[in-house]
Parts: sequence; C-alpha cells; structure tokens
Amino acid sequence: MNEIVEGFIEAIRLIVTLDPEVLEITVRSLVISLIATVLSAAVSIPLGSLLYLREFPGKGAVIGVIQTLYSLPTVIAGLFIFLLLSNAGPFGFLRLLFTPAGMVIAQTVLILPITTGLTIAALSGIGREVRDTLLSLGATEYQSILAILGEARFAICSALLLGFGRAISEVGAAMIVGGNIRGQTRILTTAISLETSIGNFSLSIALGIILLLLALGVNLSLALLGRWHH
Amino acid sequence: MMKPKIVFLLLACLVTALLVSGCVQQKAALRIATTTSLYDTGLLEEIERAYEEKTGTDLLITSQGSGKAIELARRGDVDLLLIHSPPEETAFMSAEDGLYHRCFAYNYFLLLGPPEDPADIKNLTAIGAFARLHQLGRSGNPDVRFVSRGDLSGTHHAEIRIWRSAGFNYTSDVQGSGRWYIETGKGMGESLQVANEKDAYILADTGTYLAFRSKLRLVPVIASDEELLNRYSAIVINPGRHQGTNDEDAKEFVNWLLSEEGKEILTSFGGDAYGAPLFTPLEEGICESEPFSCTCSLIP
Amino acid sequence: MIRASCISKTYRGRTVLDGVDLSIERGEIFCIVGPNGAGKTTLLRILDLLDRPSYGLLQILGEDATGSESVRFRIRRRMSMLFQRPVIFDTSVFDNVACGLKFRKMGEDEVRGRVKSALREVGLPGLERRRAKELSGGEMQRLALARALVIEPEILFLDEPTTFLDPESANIVNDTMVRLSRDRGTTILFTTHDLYEGERIADRIGVLMDGRFSQISEALEILHHPADLRVAKFVGFENILRARCLSWEAGEALLDLEGQKIYAISGGRCDGDVFVCFRAESVSVGVGEEPIASPRNKFRGTVTRISAFGPFVYITIHCGFDIVAMLTRRAMDELMLDLGSEVWASVKATSMRVFAGAGDAAKKTGTEKH
Repeated sequence: MNEIVEGFIEAIRLIVTLDPEVLEITVRSLVISLIATVLSAAVSIPLGSLLYLREFPGKGAVIGVIQTLYSLPTVIAGLFIFLLLSNAGPFGFLRLLFTPAGMVIAQTVLILPITTGLTIAALSGIGREVRDTLLSLGATEYQSILAILGEARFAICSALLLGFGRAISEVGAAMIVGGNIRGQTRILTTAISLETSIGNFSLSIALGIILLLLALGVNLSLALLGRWHH
Repeated sequence: MMKPKIVFLLLACLVTALLVSGCVQQKAALRIATTTSLYDTGLLEEIERAYEEKTGTDLLITSQGSGKAIELARRGDVDLLLIHSPPEETAFMSAEDGLYHRCFAYNYFLLLGPPEDPADIKNLTAIGAFARLHQLGRSGNPDVRFVSRGDLSGTHHAEIRIWRSAGFNYTSDVQGSGRWYIETGKGMGESLQVANEKDAYILADTGTYLAFRSKLRLVPVIASDEELLNRYSAIVINPGRHQGTNDEDAKEFVNWLLSEEGKEILTSFGGDAYGAPLFTPLEEGICESEPFSCTCSLIP
Repeated sequence: MIRASCISKTYRGRTVLDGVDLSIERGEIFCIVGPNGAGKTTLLRILDLLDRPSYGLLQILGEDATGSESVRFRIRRRMSMLFQRPVIFDTSVFDNVACGLKFRKMGEDEVRGRVKSALREVGLPGLERRRAKELSGGEMQRLALARALVIEPEILFLDEPTTFLDPESANIVNDTMVRLSRDRGTTILFTTHDLYEGERIADRIGVLMDGRFSQISEALEILHHPADLRVAKFVGFENILRARCLSWEAGEALLDLEGQKIYAISGGRCDGDVFVCFRAESVSVGVGEEPIASPRNKFRGTVTRISAFGPFVYITIHCGFDIVAMLTRRAMDELMLDLGSEVWASVKATSMRVFAGAGDAAKKTGTEKH
C-alpha cells in the first residue's frame, strides 16, 4: 500500500521537477506511439475503406482474421518484427533493431488489426443509404468514401484512440524490438518493467501515472480538436 | 467532413520525426546485450556514463535475461555480450559465435530462506543444503519449499549446476518432483517476491537481493560458498560469423573494463547504494585457475 | 429523356421488377403509384443508376445506361434523387446542400449563391450555419430536397417525398416540384402511395403492381377507367360486386347482379363470372317514387351505415348486396336520410366497369376508353 502512496508523491515530484530522464522517456513514448498510430491510420483507413467497399470471395474470412488479430499478443508481434529486423533476418541490413523506428514498426503492426477492423466497423455503422445519397449527388467513388469517412470520423477517431492506447501501454513488443536501451529506446512501459524488476515499485507507479496522464492528454486534445472542428 | 490536408500534413511531420529519430544515432555505437542481474544493479549505467564520457562511444545496452541476451548475440544483433553462465559461454565460444571471451568480475549467489530456517541448513555447504532441501521437500514437509527462476537464466543455470553437483538429475529428480519445487519462469525480482510470499528458499544474485532487501523477509542462509560463485564475462561477437558487428569498439570496451580504470569502478560500485561492494574484479594470475578457469588478460 | 424496356430486377431470388416498360419525356412530371412492395423504390434506384437491372434496356439522356461505370457516372451527374428517409450529413446546413456542388468542384462564390437560392426555394432561407442534425423532420426533408436540386439536375427522382411530412412541408415540397418542372424544365419522377398527390401534380401516373406497370396514363383516366380489377381496387373503387355476364352486344354488356339485371359499358367481350365496379360518387341517391328517367341501373334498398368524410358522407345501401354511395352532407340533409331510410340508388351504365372475375388480375376485359 505504501508504495502506491509513495508512487503518487513520486509522480507529482517527477512532473513538477520536470525530471529530464523521465521527460525524455515520456516524450519518446508519446512520439513513438503517435507515429505508430498515424502510420496505422494511414494504412488502415484506406485498407478498411477498400475492404468495406469491395465485395470479393473470402471477404468474411479476411475480416475474421483481422478481428482475430485484435488478440495478437504484444510479445508475438514484437517477436515477429524482431525476427524480421534482426541482423540474421531479412531486413537486418536496415539496422532498425533497437531503434525507435523499429519500435514504431512493431507498434504499428500490433495495432493495425484493431484500427483496420474498427475502421470497417465504423464505416459499416454508417449504412448503405449514406453511400447511395452521395452517389446520387454525383460523388465519385473516391469522393464518396471521403465523405463517408467524414461521417464516421468519431467512430474512426475512437478506433485510433484505442490503437494508440494499445500502442502506448504495451511493453512486450517495445521490450523485444526496442531493447529498453537507456537514452535510445527506453519508453514508459519498458522503464516501468525495469523499475519493477529491480524493486523500485513507487517509481514504477509514478511512471504508470504519467503514462495515464499522457493518455488523458491525448484524449482531451482529440476531443478539443473535434469540438474546434465544429 | 474531415480535412484530408490536415491529416496529410500531420502524417508528413510525424514520418519526418520518425526518420530523424531513426537516423540520428549514427555516431560510434556499441550494442551490448546483458543479463538482467548485471543491469538491474545499476552497475552498467555507471559504466556507461564513465565510458561514454571518456571515449564518446555510445553504449546501447539492452538488458534481456540471459537466454534472450545470448540469442541476440547469436543472431549478431549486438556487438558484445555480458553474461554469467559458464556452460553457455563455453558453448557460445565453441560455436564460433564469439571472437574473444574475457571474465572480468565475480561475486556470489546467495541461498536465501526464511529467517527461522525450517530446513535447518545454515551450517551446511551449498551442496549439502540442496540435498537436504530436496529430501525434506520430497518427503512432504510442508514448511520446506524452493523457488526456482526456471527461465534458463544465468542464475537458473547456476542452480541446475548445484543440483547436479549434489547428485541429482535435474529434469527427472528435481523438476516436477512435487509441490515443494516452484518454478516461476520470471525474472530475479519477481521470483524473490514469490519466494518471500511463500516463505521458500531461493537462489539469488547479490545485486538483486540487495535491491529488494528492504521488501523481503527472507535472509541469506548460505553465502560465499565456492559452489555459489557467480562469474561475469564479456564476449566480443565474431564479425566473421555476423556481418556488420562492431568488434573494434567491443574490444576497446572490454579492454577498458579490464583496465585499472574499469576495475576501480567495479570495486567501488555498490558502496553507496547497497552499503557493500557488489563485485570483485578478476585479476590476471587468479582468474586462470580454479574455480574461475577463464581469461582476463587484455585483448591484443 | 428516359427509355426503359423490359427492366427486371431479381434480388436474393425474389423478382422485384418484372419487365417494366417506361418512356418519359423532357419536363414531364411522372408519378409512380403502387402498393408497398410493388417495386417503386427499386425502380427509382435503377433509374438513378444506383443499382443495375438484372435484365432490360435503359436509355437515359440519350445514352445507354446499362454500360460502363464511367458512362453511368456521367449520366448520374446530370440527375439527383431525394430518398424517402433522407440521410442528413452531420455537418452544417450549408455543407449539406453544397455537397453535390463540391463534388463537381464548383467555385466557392457560385456554391454560396446556389446554396442560398436553393434554401430559399425550399423555405429554409438563412439557415446555412445551423447544424443540420438539429433541424426538424420536415425541415430535414426540405434540406435534402435543396441538396438534390441545387445541382440543377435534368432529371430529379423523389422517393415518397411527402410520406413522413407534415402538411406544410409536404406542400412546400410539392410546390417546389411543380416550379422546377415549369421554370427549369426539370424532368421529375416521384413515387407515392397517395394517388391524389399524383393527381394534383403529375402529368402522368404509372400504377406499378407486382413489378410491372398495370397502367400508365393521365390521372383522371386512371381514376375513372382503371385498366384492371387490381388497379380499380388500388385507385379506390368503393363498389366491387360479383356478377354474371348474360349477353354482350355492341360494347354493352347485360349482367345478372344477384338476380337484378344491369347494363354496363364494356369494351371487351364479356363472359361468365365477372366483377362490376363503380365509384361511390357515380351512385345517385333518391327517395320516394322510382325515378323514370335514365339511368337504367336502379336499385332499391335501405341505408345501413353512414360515415362522415370531411364535407362528404359515405352511405351504405343494402339492396340484396351493399352499394356505397357518396353524397355531400348537404344533399344528405336535403334528402333527410337516416339509418333505415328507404332509397333508390342508380348508376349510369357508362360509370360501370366490367372485369373478368376468375382470379384477381388475369385478363383484362374492362373498358379501355370511352
């Protein structure tokens, strides 16, 4: 119990004093997960749109696979990317293992199924009649999908938020691909894992609180962005 | 409707950030895989600070648990391996994955147990203690339990070695021999917590024990027995086997570690945080003989 | 403008359209009526090129509309459609209306001008900045109409545009349709289940039954000379009675209606069991002595039911069989009718239609033209 109280106090202290190492880890966490989310959005929004629009044999199976991958264990995603990026793997020459870029790739792969699947769900929630309306108003297929995405923007935003949440809170992939290297690839979750394993429970809790505050900040700024847009 | 332009702009910014963050670290960098027990003490952070200050070489240290660390080294994903598992070091070298093998420090594993010492082993040797724990555990004594890492880490390997020295076949006599033998499959810290909750005996490395000491009821029951020796080594990865590994900087780092300057840090480390030094540097002339049986001369 | 022949549509094994032939001229207002499930919406969707027919030829605006997507897209851009339950985008009123114009990459000034006048046209002036989803149901439908007409379509389709509307909004929508046709020469096709709405504003009406047109003609023609029994039922012939055909000569049939002889004009030869149909307003009601003058079909009976219908009254007269007659309230008061009153009912032979009796639809024997 003591550790939890100390954790709160420690969190406040770290935030107030702007501890440079914590700040660096926090910013790195945020940047990596944000890039991963944006990249996955850049893939999953067009991909989800395509899967939503096109009818083809085996479509149900594809969506089923995507939904199954929601449960992709973070360690397995990490291991998969690790094996690809490892020196002995096919993309070893890129030297991306133990770099933030490698972590971005791992997190992107990890959350891609969620963002894609939920994009499809968001579009499906919009209904055929919207598409009919757009087409009857003279939209090209591209214009119509843009407008449908616009209608589904809140649902898609929450899909991306969920993806971001999974990215910033996961530790397995970041640990395997990033290596938790101080000053290079240490992020909040891997730092928490490290501090826990060496018994710094209150620091772990403090970092956890910072992570949650970060997530809160992202949520709020998205909500503000949504309101500002109206 | 969403403004695609804004999204694209954002995307472009972030991708740029990604590229920059991915490319910026292209100065001399030495990638080191280390076992957690070494890293978790904080020794390597101190070494990193001192070495980076002196040479400007960027040390990229990933602490991964012995099994994973060796695998990283075997794949050529790092340039240097820091490890404390002699049988695996031998195997690694004989597979020609390593170019140079140097031991640089040692300390002792500790056999921890409840302060009441229900198995009454504190006056025994490590081997004798293990034999007695096995006997009591198998016979169903409810107060005697043993927690094992069970993760093929260096500490786990040391534990296996002691079971073997005590005359047991580890897989058939010890593993799965009853509820007294608990395998956590976790790191040292977590395993210590488990042992503490269950009032069990456990083999632990000094550094992790000291870090957790204030949270533990367990106390060292047996320490500094020769069987409990914990030897730390550095292995430079063989660039002939793994293209692109940085053996030059690895060699330089190992030599620095073996130098007086490195030894000074090893000797003094732990005094402030733990009240006692955690490591003893190995000296040429001692390290070659039993029980160390390794090389600690500078790499030519 | 539109030439459709033999349009069929099978959807999940069910035949929704079964050989629709249709020809619409420029500037015409054409109304499609029919019972629910007759295929009205499906037909409009096919004509607006949202769906492809399973079979059939379709020419719109002089181009083959069953060919490539690019041609269909080009044609679709010259038309627009108002759906029965319109989708309102979750944006401002302005953005909703401007939608189709933005798809066409129109300049901002022109967009603003057109949106403004379109909103004025549907009675929603100055609401540009409102959030569209905050409008009332009727306003949303008018907004959707503005959105459909702002692109100045050559053909405008409206699917049940007034079904869910309050009378005021319905009137605005109907007036707008008439104005578009008159001022801009827009060709308009709309569906309704309200025949009188069709009568008020359409040039021609097509009665769609079970996936094909049973009759296409001017409103009055359909109201008074339905092509078959089902159309007669649909357009509200109150009196549909079983009879037997006794003889037929020179376009006039002699029928046996429950033992009474009646005469009816019948273009086709009549034979065996038939239905004889006439409107309630074709029935003249009198009291007292038997009327001497024509018409020849006279029935004596008792008033068994009186029900009010606005300024009119429906009375049911039992004379072996039931006849429904429609009177003005005033006429009823003058005749001093009440339940149980003994009355005469008479119907002109020319007001009677004769349809084959076997089955419901089957072959047509009724009058085609007077």
